[in-house]
Amino acid sequence: MLELQHVNFSYEPGKEVLHDINLKLDQAQVIGIIGPNGSGKSTLFLNLVGIQRPDSGQILLDGQPLRYDKKSLLALRKRIGIIFQNSEQQIFYSLVEDDVAFALHNLGLPQAEIDARVDQALAKLDISDLRQRPIQYLSGGQKKRVAIAGILVLDSEWLLLDEPTAGLDPDGRRRMVRLIHQLIANGQKIILSSHDMDFMYEVGQYFYILQDGKIVKSGDKQSVFRERTLIEAAKLEQPWLVRLHEDLHLPLYATPAELFADKALQKKLAQLDLSGEEEKE
Amino acid sequence: MLVIDKYAYQNKIVHWSPVLKGCLWLLGMILAFQPLIWLKLLLLVGVVSATLYVTGVGLHQYLRWYYGILPFLALSILGIILTVGPSRHTLYWSLPVFGQYFGISKVMLPQGLTIGLRALSAITCTYFLALTTPFQQIVYLLVKLHLPRLLIEETMLMYRFIFIFIAAWEQIYHAQQLRFGYRNFHTSIHSLSLLIKLLFEQIIYNYREMDNALAVKLYHGEFPITTRERSGNNA
Repeated sequence: MLELQHVNFSYEPGKEVLHDINLKLDQAQVIGIIGPNGSGKSTLFLNLVGIQRPDSGQILLDGQPLRYDKKSLLALRKRIGIIFQNSEQQIFYSLVEDDVAFALHNLGLPQAEIDARVDQALAKLDISDLRQRPIQYLSGGQKKRVAIAGILVLDSEWLLLDEPTAGLDPDGRRRMVRLIHQLIANGQKIILSSHDMDFMYEVGQYFYILQDGKIVKSGDKQSVFRERTLIEAAKLEQPWLVRLHEDLHLPLYATPAELFADKALQKKLAQLDLSGEEEKE
Repeated sequence: MLVIDKYAYQNKIVHWSPVLKGCLWLLGMILAFQPLIWLKLLLLVGVVSATLYVTGVGLHQYLRWYYGILPFLALSILGIILTVGPSRHTLYWSLPVFGQYFGISKVMLPQGLTIGLRALSAITCTYFLALTTPFQQIVYLLVKLHLPRLLIEETMLMYRFIFIFIAAWEQIYHAQQLRFGYRNFHTSIHSLSLLIKLLFEQIIYNYREMDNALAVKLYHGEFPITTRERSGNNA
């Protein structure tokens, strides 16, 4: 279990980026950290993987405080994998398969196992055909998937994704949603950070709202996304599915797919004849 | 974007063994440096046509890659053949300068032209290698030649970062161009210095991000070099 107790963090003295953060990251399999730009989400992630160290307070992994010597950090980073927002700065090799295998080579695994794990990761992300491609000719979305594959090969217990939908086109975003559902089905524990409210609503299970370095709200879908005033005060907006429910009194759907599959709703709406075509004539 | 790099991944002989291509290059070098002029000329014509055939690159585009090199070559040849002497009989087209004569040396002219031809054929052979051999095959060759690890690692990383660097450069350059940053000499110098400053800042920033990415990928000081013999793919 991953837990933060009274964590404070600042890059420069007097300017706290994280303020008294208390998190227990075991409420659900997929935990979302929601917050606007500059709220401290990425900094929180850097603290979780031991790249930054809290000024005070502590981070506990299975009840043990994190230790920052080389060996403990290696062990920590085998258990917690993180994918940063910018793919370009996470890819070091010029060939997809070389880059995906990088972390495994660093671990000194036998070549046969490296090959098998790389195969698996590429297949999961549907990029097996890019295997031998030079990185410089891939699209942004493809690079993102290569960056994810490079961490997925580690088979870590937790997977941290920082702004996973940033800069993706609709297809990339759909793939990301699918990937996360697939990882959930495989039992992967995931922590997401994003301000893409619709995305978070669709894939997340338990949420924390981070505003100016403080946790202002936490809870499950029902309790977090219904707080319109709080969400708007945090410079965010409610997911459209929640707004359909609150403003237009439609049932509250968990995913867009659920809404569009609702036959009863379709029938009712058809009777109302809302197309507005008659009025125009 | 480096167009020259694209051809390396999609040409008719991309699947040839890198060792064979390396040997061809070496043979070309030997032919470029041997003394027979007619053989050099033959090599030049032969390699140029072979390059055009296997890469499918247009003649115009191909010649453009020489623009960057030709001035240097021309300057070197001029440096060899131009001379100052006391007698005008040793010179072609001599000009009297302060009691001496300045012109093209009769002895050095054939030598200068030979050196020029040698350099040109060698460059043409190197273009052939660069245009037909994907980078991973070059790395494979370097490993086969038992070059120091550090050198190969560095070559590998440089190749990757050239593209990031060019992309960053182009982005800043276009943004400046759109805001009339290169309207005249004065603004051009100003914009260029800003561009260099920005690139430097980005390097520092990207360095930090990459350092973090290396940490989570369990990097401990060495970039493993994969040595499987591979051929490039149709990119």
